[in-house]
Amino acid sequence: MLLKIIGSLIVFMSSSLLGYMYSRRCSKRPAELRALQGYLQMFETEISFMSNVLKDAFTKIYMYDDSSVAVFFKGTVEALENDTGITAGEAWAKAVKENIKNTSLNKEDEEIIISFGKMLGSSDVEGQIKNIRLTINQLKLQEQKAEELRAKNEAMYRNLGILGGLAIIIILF
Amino acid sequence: MVTKEDFVFSVEKVQNFEKDILRMISPQVRDVLKKIPLNELITTEEIRLRANKPLMIQNEKGSFFVNLEGRLTANRMNLFYVSQEQIAKTLELISENSIYAFQDEIRNGFLTIRGGHRVGIVGRVVLNGDTVKNIKDVSGLNIRISREITGCSSKVLKYIISSEKQVYNTLIVSPPQCGKTTLLRDITRAISDGVEEMGFKGVKVGVVDERSEIAACYKGVPQNRVGTRTDVLDACPKQIGMIMMLRSMSPDVIVTDEIGNKGDKDALIQVLNAGVKVISTAHGYNISELKSRKEVLSLIEEKMFERYIVLSARKGPGTVEEIIDGTDMSILYKGE
Repeated sequence: MLLKIIGSLIVFMSSSLLGYMYSRRCSKRPAELRALQGYLQMFETEISFMSNVLKDAFTKIYMYDDSSVAVFFKGTVEALENDTGITAGEAWAKAVKENIKNTSLNKEDEEIIISFGKMLGSSDVEGQIKNIRLTINQLKLQEQKAEELRAKNEAMYRNLGILGGLAIIIILF
Repeated sequence: MVTKEDFVFSVEKVQNFEKDILRMISPQVRDVLKKIPLNELITTEEIRLRANKPLMIQNEKGSFFVNLEGRLTANRMNLFYVSQEQIAKTLELISENSIYAFQDEIRNGFLTIRGGHRVGIVGRVVLNGDTVKNIKDVSGLNIRISREITGCSSKVLKYIISSEKQVYNTLIVSPPQCGKTTLLRDITRAISDGVEEMGFKGVKVGVVDERSEIAACYKGVPQNRVGTRTDVLDACPKQIGMIMMLRSMSPDVIVTDEIGNKGDKDALIQVLNAGVKVISTAHGYNISELKSRKEVLSLIEEKMFERYIVLSARKGPGTVEEIIDGTDMSILYKGE
């Protein structure tokens, strides 16, 4: 009997934890999309007002904040420093692909972020700003979608975890 | 003359060459350049990349092709040809993948890289009305290696510092490739640090470095030795810069490169009226040729400069041909 109670407690706790983790992931994605927009805004200031080169601008961004998405900027600088044969766009794509696993961003977000790199550094300031604005707008849309999804799913996952755990216990008891 | 000392290069010099120049060149071209013997590579004055043409190097002995073994030759056999992609790649490396930060420089047809070396660009020009908007399809690059020669001004200093320990308004006249900027830089260093032998204490110098060639600033800090009492306004247009310097830094002498555009005169007058001395350079082979340029002629006629130093490359870059007193046009020094 004691064994049964302990077992069901373990099942209950782990399933609620699972539900809680899923619901956290839902709220992490909008936060990351927001952070990325902020960094792009910083990048715009760096190049339009300060006229800094790409490496310096990116270095400043990741020095300012070391979050899971700031790593993209760090990775780009490292890729550019290690391999002189690489273009800025390639370095960005490489950094994003390597580090996106550790974020909550999905495939759609990844495509938008990588396409930002295609124009990176290779045009005049106006071109760069247009590219940054376009990406920010796209990310904003993604953020709205993610926000809606979060509102729907956050509570659901949490409840699902708790209730699912209870259901398993009742069935097995 | 080539002496034995010329073959002894400091490690720092070689490292700088590697870091500032070789790193900026596309990998395939870089590999060929690395095969060139070090003593020839380090004395290079110009590296020329032209699309589908052989790689060329200019040094004090003349201009040479570079063959696949990295030997400098006048022979057209077995040469290394540069492709347009390699030129594009080089430009990308030079601009550190940030064309947007260099667009104003590209519009002028050249950009200055760390170390003060100037890279000239040709290709197809994109126009916006009457002004150049961009250069696309770049077909040629010329990397001009600037060299700091400390002490090269020691011979001329006694002509530009008066007995009252004042600096004369001086114009250095020289054709391209004769060491104008090198001499200007060393004069700047000398008058800023002071010249002990002449009992000249240093004065405050303001450098307006429109092309970042004199002080070779990297992130605003001079990389070349321009003296302890020197302030540098980097990448600022001369006319605006001279006035800014005058108002903000109270210099005793203002140094600026390549004078002679419209409007330069007005700025000069303002500076001279404030009692500040000017040292500058102009393109030209001699004084009479200089007079054929309208903007410069009025500067000469109004006796704005008290000293003219004429350079040539007759005995190697930096040969002083003559030094002229601008007030009465008498010759103070004449090279044999």
